[in-house]
Amino acid sequence: MSGLLAAAVACEPARLSDLGTLVQVLWQFLSLSLFSLGGGNTLLAEYHHLAVAQFCWLTNTQFADLYALAEAAPGPSSMLVGLLGLGAGWREGPFWALLCAYGAEAAILLPSTLLMVMACLSWKRLEHSPWRVAFERGLGPITLGILFAVGLKILRTADTNWAGVVVSVLVCVLMLRTRISPLWFMAVAGVLGGLGVINR
Amino acid sequence: MTERRPSLSELFWGMLQVALSAFGGGLSAWSQRIVVEQRRWMSNEQFLTGLTVARLFPGPNQINMAVYIGAEFHGLPGALVALAGMLLLPFSLLMGLGLAYFHFHTIPSVDRVLAGVVAAAAGMALSMGFKILDQYWNDRVALLLAVVVFLALSLFDQRLIPVVLIAGPLAMAWYWPRRQSNP
Repeated sequence: MSGLLAAAVACEPARLSDLGTLVQVLWQFLSLSLFSLGGGNTLLAEYHHLAVAQFCWLTNTQFADLYALAEAAPGPSSMLVGLLGLGAGWREGPFWALLCAYGAEAAILLPSTLLMVMACLSWKRLEHSPWRVAFERGLGPITLGILFAVGLKILRTADTNWAGVVVSVLVCVLMLRTRISPLWFMAVAGVLGGLGVINR
Repeated sequence: MTERRPSLSELFWGMLQVALSAFGGGLSAWSQRIVVEQRRWMSNEQFLTGLTVARLFPGPNQINMAVYIGAEFHGLPGALVALAGMLLLPFSLLMGLGLAYFHFHTIPSVDRVLAGVVAAAAGMALSMGFKILDQYWNDRVALLLAVVVFLALSLFDQRLIPVVLIAGPLAMAWYWPRRQSNP
């Protein structure tokens, strides 16, 4: 897999203590918020782009680790954004890191929350509107395309050896065919990693 | 069975209870059990309407659901309080894990275990598209749209927002409900 990944060009991590950068980062998260279709996982590749390529807070490997951490922990998986905030502020100490984490999570949730509140208040009128029908049916296939792109992106980011790719494909099939809790897959794969079967 | 209107602090504690109960999964089922059956804040129909709205609008479904429940009783303040109750514990826990990660991830044995966990997590990400593929299988236009969006993002490395802004209106125009022939 490693051949697929262009060697990351060394770039300078964007510092959030610089006001201009902070505003730019907040704007990116605020605007992405309204594009989190289909439950929010559609944004994963964009998070990768922001954190790894554009602002250089994290390496590819760190991003993959944090994604796995967010998936393993209980609660909505969109909390990954908080972890990205931690990574952004980590160089300036844990306190600053936590501040960035809460800020990032607030920025990604605020616009969709406001929209949701408005939707609740006007749902009676929206429910049978043609806009709603067209939105629901039109955005579905787009979400489908995005989710496949996201899956591929995460697989490339994980960048494991062939054993790891086999495990990824196997987990994918088991996720679709069984109702086993994904925590088991992560636990077993973690052991395989500890034993050195899966590496990167 | 009558529904009673929760106060702001009841909303907060109720959502906290949902988040606590759902450690280990099943957030949506737990919120239904607690909000509809135990605390009787809303009827089942109201709750299901909420799920529909939560899935339709941007934002994580479970979080949108908390917003819906809060907004139903207290508008924006209610939504924010419900959101805080829902997120406080899991988010703090995850940030604790995250701080531990940044401290310890350079230790070789930690990194080796993580390499395995990452492989499993990548499999989970890979399954997301397949999970909803079935419902579009007989709709050629939908599949074409999905392929175009996929290629734009993956092969041509375009950003999500412009892709959605171009493909979205086109798709909405195509799927605009027609009066007579209902496909």
